Amino acid sequence: MDLSSFESNNSVSCRLASQIPDVCRTEDCCLGIDEAGRGPVLGPMVYGICFCPVSKKEELKNSKVADSKTLTEDERENLFEKLDEAKSYVGWALQILSPNTISTSMLQRTKYNLNALSHDTAIGLVQYALDSGVQLTEVFVDTVGPAEKYEEKLSKLFPGIQVTVRPKADSLFPIVSAASICAKVARDRVVKGWSFAEDLGEVDTDYGSGYPNDPKTKAWLLKYLDPVFGYPQFVRFSWSTAQTLMDSKGVTVHWDDDDEDREKAAQRLNKKSMLSYFGASSGSKAQNPTHETHRFFTERRLKNLNTL
Amino acid sequence: MATKKKRTLSAQNDSWVVIAPDSVVDTQKHDSDPSFVRLRNPLTDEASLYMLGSGDVQLFEVKAFEEDFHSWFVGQTVQRDGRLLFITPMDPLYLILPYLIKSGKEGKFQPVDQVVMDEEFPACSRLLSCTHSLASLRHIAEEKEVANLKFHRYSQEKTMDWLKKKVERTVAALKKRHISVGEGVKSSTYVRVKSEPDHNEEDYLRYAHGLISEYISEDLSKDLLRHLKLPELTSPKETEPPSKKRKLSDTPVEAGEDYTKFNSADFVRKPPKKMTSAQKTLAKVDKTGMKPMSSFFSPKAKAEKK
Amino acid sequence: MSCNTSVTRVQLPPAVDQVPRVPVHLMPCEIEHDGPAQVSQYLTATTKDCKQEKTVSFRGRGLKGQELSCPQGYTGLVLKEINKPGSDQEDRTVKLTSTFDKLTYWNLETPTNSDDTVVMAMDWPELAEAIHGPVED
Repeated sequence: MDLSSFESNNSVSCRLASQIPDVCRTEDCCLGIDEAGRGPVLGPMVYGICFCPVSKKEELKNSKVADSKTLTEDERENLFEKLDEAKSYVGWALQILSPNTISTSMLQRTKYNLNALSHDTAIGLVQYALDSGVQLTEVFVDTVGPAEKYEEKLSKLFPGIQVTVRPKADSLFPIVSAASICAKVARDRVVKGWSFAEDLGEVDTDYGSGYPNDPKTKAWLLKYLDPVFGYPQFVRFSWSTAQTLMDSKGVTVHWDDDDEDREKAAQRLNKKSMLSYFGASSGSKAQNPTHETHRFFTERRLKNLNTL
Repeated sequence: MATKKKRTLSAQNDSWVVIAPDSVVDTQKHDSDPSFVRLRNPLTDEASLYMLGSGDVQLFEVKAFEEDFHSWFVGQTVQRDGRLLFITPMDPLYLILPYLIKSGKEGKFQPVDQVVMDEEFPACSRLLSCTHSLASLRHIAEEKEVANLKFHRYSQEKTMDWLKKKVERTVAALKKRHISVGEGVKSSTYVRVKSEPDHNEEDYLRYAHGLISEYISEDLSKDLLRHLKLPELTSPKETEPPSKKRKLSDTPVEAGEDYTKFNSADFVRKPPKKMTSAQKTLAKVDKTGMKPMSSFFSPKAKAEKK
Repeated sequence: MSCNTSVTRVQLPPAVDQVPRVPVHLMPCEIEHDGPAQVSQYLTATTKDCKQEKTVSFRGRGLKGQELSCPQGYTGLVLKEINKPGSDQEDRTVKLTSTFDKLTYWNLETPTNSDDTVVMAMDWPELAEAIHGPVED
C-alpha cells in the first residue's frame, strides 16, 4: 500500500488501488465495501472495496479475514499482508477522504452531509471497479443509514448486480471484512504518519483513538486549539466536539451564510434604510435623503466616509 | 452542531487597510505629514472625509470598499474591520465651487480667500493652497485683477464648460476600462458582461454625468444634463413627495444684512451653516411632511436660472 | 457626530522602505478579534497554489483566492492609531506601520473571477484620475 500520493497532499481526497487481477476481468466477481474512521474527530475517513471471483469466496474465508474491529492493529497488518499475497485473485481500492474534505463538505454552503458523502464515495468505488473491467455480479455493503433504502439506491444505480446491504456486513461476508481491513490499515497508517501542513514545529502525536470521548483526544484538542484558526487540518471542524471547543475558547467567526447572522444583517439594513427614509443621520454615515449613490459605487461597494 | 454566537458590535477600530497614491507616502518631498480632514461634501452638504497631502499641495478623497462579513489578516495579525480604504486624488475645485456659487449670488467680485471660509469646516481654507487651485479658478469664475489683487465671481457658463470637459474625460476613461454603462437592470448577482458592443454614446454620457454628479449639487447636476443636451429621465424617485427632496432655497442666506460690506476687506463671512440649539433640536426630529429646515439655512443657493 | 475641526495626522517614517512589507489577506468572514494571529503558520503554510487559483480552508470552510496588485502608482498602507484621544475634539495621529503592493482576497467556496466586487473596486483609482484630473483649455 503506497500512501505517498495522499501524503503529498493530505488536504484533499485521494484514491489508491491495487493492480486488477486478470481473473477478475474474466470471471464473475463479488465485491465488499466498508469504511474506517467514520466517528473520530481526527484524521481521514477511508472507504475500501475488495473484490475477488465468486469462485474464490471459500479461499478468502479460509484466510480468516474477520471483522477488522475485533482485531489488533498488528493482526490487521498481517491480514493485509495475506491479502497482498493473494493478489493474483484479490483486488482492492481505497478512497481516502481527508479530514479537510470532510470539514469543507459538511460545512459547505449547500450542506453535504456525511451519509451523502459516504454513499457517493462507495458508488464511486464500485464504478471504478466496473470501469476497470471487473466482472461484478454481487456487491456486499456494510450499512450506512437505513439498509433497505441504500440497497434500493445501489440496485438502481447498478442494474444486473445483486446488491446486499446489511448492518455488520463486515462480520457476515468475508469480502466485506477484507475491504474493512484494507480501509482500516490505510486509516491507521495515515493517522500514524500524519504530516501537518501547518507550521507547528514538533507536534505531540499522543492523540489517543481520535474518538471525541477519549480523554487523550480531548486533551490533545485542548492543547492544539488556536484562538483564531481553530485547528490544523487534521481535525474535523464539522464535529461538534471541535465546534464547541472553538466556540468556548476561540475567537468568534461569522460567515455570510450563518442563518442567524443573515437575519441580523437584514435587520440592520432595514433599520438603516428607515433612518435614511426619514432623513435622519444614521450614526456615522451621512445620508442624503433623495440622492442615490451612482451605481458605479454601489456595484463596487464603495462608500463615502465622514470619519476615520 | 453548536448554536452560532450572536454578532457583537465592533468597538471602534484603531487600524485601517488603505490603498493610496505613491505620492502620499513619498517622504522625499515632505515637509509635513498628510492629514485626514473633514470638509463639506458638495453633494450632501454634510461632512465627508478627505485627505490633504503634505504641505496641502494635493487634495484626496477617501472612500471605503465595504462588504459585510469581511476581515483582514495583516502580516501576523488579524483586523476585524474588513474595509479597504481608497485614497484617490480629488479636484479641489469641486469643493470650492459651492462657496463660489453662494458668493456669486451677491454678484460681486470677491477675493477668493474671503469666499472659501466656513466656520464649521475651518480646514476648507487650506483648499486654496492646493497646487492648481488658484490657477484653475478661471474654469469656474471670472477673474479681475486690481492692484495685484485677484478677485473672482462665479460663472455658470464657464462652470458648465468645465464640467462638460470633466464628463468627456470620464467617458474616455470608462471606455478605456471597458466599464459596462448600459442602463439595463443589473441582476442581483452583479454579473458584468464585459463585451457589450451596443453601448451608445448617450449611455456613456449619462453614466459619466452620474459620476460627476457625485461631486456637485443636484441643481448643478440638472443644469449639466441640459448643457450636455440630455433629456431628463423620469425615475420613480422624481415622484417622491417634495418634503423628502433636497430643496434649495432661492432666498439669499442671511438676507437683510448690509451687502455693501461684502466687498470690504475686513469682512468675515458668517458661517453658512451654524445652527442655533433650537435648530439643532429640530434637525434631529422626524421631519417627514415638514418643509426641510435646510431650505432656510442651507449654505447652498440655487444655481442661476438661465 | 464627531467634531469637524479635528484633523488626523498621518505620521510617516523618514523613509517608507523602513516600514515592513507584509502579506495581507481579505477574508470572506468576520473575525471578531483584533490582535496577533499565526497567519503564516496556518494560512500561508496550507495554501495550495494551482492553475492561477489558490485554495485553503479556514475554520473548516473551503476558500478560493486570488492575488490582486495595487493599481499602478498606488501603494497599500496599514495605518494604526497609537494613542486614541479621549474626546472627538482633539486631533488624532495614525502611524504608517506596514505597506503592501498586493493583496490576496478569498471567496467562500466560489471561484474567483473578474466580477468579484473587490476586483471591480480596483477600477476606482483610474476613474478618479479622470474625474479629478485637471482639464485642459
